[in-house]
Amino acid sequence: MCLLTAAALALLTPGCTAVHGSVDPSTSAVPVNASVRGDVTVWSWNIAAKSLQSLTPQFEHDHAGTKVTVEMNGTNIQSRLLLALVAGVGAPDVTQFQFYEAPHYIATGTLADLTPVAKKYETMFPKAVWQNCTMNGKIYAIPWDVGPCALYYKRSVFAKYGVDPDKIRTWDDYIAAGQTIVKKSGGKTKMMTLGPNDIEDLFEVLLQQTGGQVFDDHGRIAVDSPQARKALSIIKRLRESGICSDVPAYGQEWLAGFSDTSVASYPGAVWLGGLMKDAMGDYKGRSTDWGVTRLPAVDAGGIRVADWGGSVLVIPAQCKNKAAAWAFIEYALCTREGQLAQYHKESLFPAFMPALKTKALDEGDPFFGGQPIGRLFATDIDKIPALNRTSNWTEAQGYLKQDLSHWAATGMTDPDVLGVVARKLSKRLDLALAPPNPQSWGHPTGHTSPVVSRHMPFDQVSSTQVLSPQNWGLGGLSWTTGPIGDRA
Amino acid sequence: MIAERTTKPSTEPLTPAVSTSTRRSRIRVERALAYVGLTICAVIFIFPLFWLLVSAFKTPSQIFANPPVWMPHPLSTGNFTELWREANPLRAFVNSVVISAGSVFLTLFLCSLAGYAFAKFPEAPGHKWLYGFVLGTMMIPSAVTLIPSFLVLVKLHWVNTYLAMIVPGAVGAFGIFWMRQYIAAHVPDDLIAAARIDGCGEFGIYLRVVLPIVRPALAALGIMQLIGSWNNLMWAFVVLRTKDMFTLPIVIYLLQGEMRTPYGMLMAGGLLTTLPLVIAFLIFQKQFIAGITAGAVKE
Amino acid sequence: MTTALADLRRYRQFYLFIAPFFILFAVFGLYPLLFSLYLSFVKWDGLTPMHWVGLGNFRRMLEDDLLWRSLQNTAIIGLLYVPPMMILAFAFAQLLNAQWLKFKAFYRAALFVPCVTPMVVIALVFSLIFSSEKGVLNYVLALLHLPSIGWLTSEQWSKVSVSILVVWRWTGYNMILMLAGLQGISPEYYEAADVDGAGAWHKMTRITLPLMRPTFRFCGLLSLLGTLYMFDEVFVLTKGGGPGTSSLNFGMYLFNLSFSDFKFGYASCVAYSVAIVVFIATLIVNRFNRDEDAAPKRGRLGRA
Repeated sequence: MCLLTAAALALLTPGCTAVHGSVDPSTSAVPVNASVRGDVTVWSWNIAAKSLQSLTPQFEHDHAGTKVTVEMNGTNIQSRLLLALVAGVGAPDVTQFQFYEAPHYIATGTLADLTPVAKKYETMFPKAVWQNCTMNGKIYAIPWDVGPCALYYKRSVFAKYGVDPDKIRTWDDYIAAGQTIVKKSGGKTKMMTLGPNDIEDLFEVLLQQTGGQVFDDHGRIAVDSPQARKALSIIKRLRESGICSDVPAYGQEWLAGFSDTSVASYPGAVWLGGLMKDAMGDYKGRSTDWGVTRLPAVDAGGIRVADWGGSVLVIPAQCKNKAAAWAFIEYALCTREGQLAQYHKESLFPAFMPALKTKALDEGDPFFGGQPIGRLFATDIDKIPALNRTSNWTEAQGYLKQDLSHWAATGMTDPDVLGVVARKLSKRLDLALAPPNPQSWGHPTGHTSPVVSRHMPFDQVSSTQVLSPQNWGLGGLSWTTGPIGDRA
Repeated sequence: MIAERTTKPSTEPLTPAVSTSTRRSRIRVERALAYVGLTICAVIFIFPLFWLLVSAFKTPSQIFANPPVWMPHPLSTGNFTELWREANPLRAFVNSVVISAGSVFLTLFLCSLAGYAFAKFPEAPGHKWLYGFVLGTMMIPSAVTLIPSFLVLVKLHWVNTYLAMIVPGAVGAFGIFWMRQYIAAHVPDDLIAAARIDGCGEFGIYLRVVLPIVRPALAALGIMQLIGSWNNLMWAFVVLRTKDMFTLPIVIYLLQGEMRTPYGMLMAGGLLTTLPLVIAFLIFQKQFIAGITAGAVKE
Repeated sequence: MTTALADLRRYRQFYLFIAPFFILFAVFGLYPLLFSLYLSFVKWDGLTPMHWVGLGNFRRMLEDDLLWRSLQNTAIIGLLYVPPMMILAFAFAQLLNAQWLKFKAFYRAALFVPCVTPMVVIALVFSLIFSSEKGVLNYVLALLHLPSIGWLTSEQWSKVSVSILVVWRWTGYNMILMLAGLQGISPEYYEAADVDGAGAWHKMTRITLPLMRPTFRFCGLLSLLGTLYMFDEVFVLTKGGGPGTSSLNFGMYLFNLSFSDFKFGYASCVAYSVAIVVFIATLIVNRFNRDEDAAPKRGRLGRA
């Protein structure tokens, strides 16, 4: 019995390398100039999948001998994908992730290296999203769409209470306008919705605007900083000024609010427009009362953009038809044709910046009274400040949501809430706290230039280096030469 | 535990307090009520299966009709044609059959072999300890071993193969216990001794003497294993990764999409998945229940 | 020493015949058990490097609201379905055991057939039946002038729906077990009770129930484990514990942790801890029962 167990243990020793079907680095890169043919399976969900499906006929026509199947099965997609990646079998040729999850998956070393074929597109995407797609200078994902933010407002309500949308330039202006509306409407109309469970989303937007971070360039917890505190103080003021309604976002009641005058405005991303059109289905091409203006800045003259949402496409390393898979991704994401088709079909806002130089964005949107909102959303898209997202992002975001929602639901009394949050994150994720001086992080404080490499830019520090066993003094479980990592 | 029994004769009159005819009619009423209750329950228990059967032949709009359509008038086979087109139920059916058959065969063979060993080799050293160990393993909940078992399969490159579904659960302690018990109770020692004297090898004894006698126990164990294997969802979900390897339950489950649930196809596929087992049960019902009952009484 | 080897040789068939079990157990039982124990002390997602956290996972369990919620839900679901199921199973078993009942085979089959059905299919059928607007159940309720219930859409009723499904599925199985138990009671006890003029109630409470205790205990243990680790029902009927987390039971929670979040280390820790607690609890209950059984009884019937 003991002999048997020992034999079994010897054969199956844990943790020597990651368990997934071993990835041969030499074949995990996408071949350059290979012939494009064969089947390509794509996993995607929702309207994203629909928009890809609309592209397949043209792609198959351009590349004879290919067949693209877009599977729209969203049931347990994360589970099935992770199981396939661990087992080394069953992953699709192309799959979609939310862009904030990309670093987590890239760190697993199970995605194909796209650098040989994608390097040339680097400058054509906003740095804020491109950053999430690379690790150690190699590219593993391509940004698909972005969610640039702006302020949606109800024209008639603003007009009725004498609020000029062009005069709202900072969040202070916004609060003042909101208080005017609430007072004059006798409390019937609120300025925005901001329930406790929706705080974290707005916090991320404001973090970008103030130049704060959750993780610094070294992957340390940096959520307790003057910038982040400033961002949170805006949220505190928004809620304390009485201009917010607590209706939970994306619920029935919230969606119904688009059609009445209970809420005057919504800071939101470009896809909120899509939600509105869906919820107000009976508008049928007539113009509604909604308009869009630029997002308020934190300080006068500060940035008026942020990014909220968006996806990327990746190729799992186990894909047997990388050339065709890449060709499809390239067509969908790196050509004006592909990106604009998706914009027209499903309102997916292109991350591919050359696609923005199109007259289509200058067209008036009838829903918004003929306002060319496309152009508005495209303004300064390349100036969106980047949030550092490490492979721990999703987990950290979950904790952040819980803690901030709890803080908001209990009166927002703790002045040191971010300190508490930072320490909790540090303990739960087992990461160090960043030192209090933001300058040492190498990140600009709140002005418009994007994150540019200085002494330690994020995409040249592998998260595996930060999180690798050597740093924890644990030699035994060695991660020696994995597909990514020490060859950087 | 038993009611206290007095030694003196009971002081209760032997004649009942009420007249015989009243008592008899009360019994009749009670029994009628019992029949009614049982029948209602039987109907309730069968109803979902009935609903599955008729819904498979309804059009999607009939499935959602209010008031409900109890019996669709032209039996529509649209769900089946759609299922054939969208999924690959034939392949899934084959997979299910192969996996279940393999699982049942392996279990029956290995458990009866081990059961025979434990029942008829009392002098083998360590025999008691080993059997105790086997019984002890029944206490390990599978939830604890789930993740590492999956990782073992990854290392062995067995993920997405029939082996991954058949082998891990093949030899369960319960099966060995079941077979051993039955063999010990029903296979006479002298029969074995005689066969040994005749020079029959142990494996030969197993094949020719033991197996014929333990058929009922094999039937019961086999059916239990068949049900578990055919209906398995969780392990199949974890271990089977490509469409050509999916079993019927997985195909059914994954037909659900995020935007819509195609109930028509689900009912058609569900019928295909459920019918074989129900039919098998109805045919082998006697053996199965006799097996459980006999095994329990023998204790 | 030589006799041992000689024994081994003589009884080599014995060891050969039982070897497959031990080999498979070593690979799929013992090794996973030990590895799982090890995993309880690390943080790992199966793809990136492992990361030792010592007792960190255990500490995390104490603060994990979702874990406690799932255990609470499990307890509630158990309380909702076990008593009705046991009572029904016992009642059916009694009736099926009665001499006077006809059509036994039909009733037995009808009540047992749910146990052979695939849960995934049944859960889907039930989700049709439980549908708020178009389901048969709410239709019947409407006919009876009762308000319709959000079986799967309201947090209050989702547990009830799961319980109904489980009762439907497993009553037949418990019924067969209890039937076996009933058939194991020697008729002499009842005959003796008849001589005493004992009524049906007396026979039930003084003979049947006490003698059925081992069977009840066995069914109870099966139900406990079944409720804790129940998966298919929650996975399919309430789509993984919904609405919200109202029907999230422990089995579903563990699955999410293992194969959705891929927190292998923490999941192993949770699985182990709960398994150990259940194990200790069953030991205690067993010890308690054994003491009770061993207590001297007065006036026991001498025979059988």
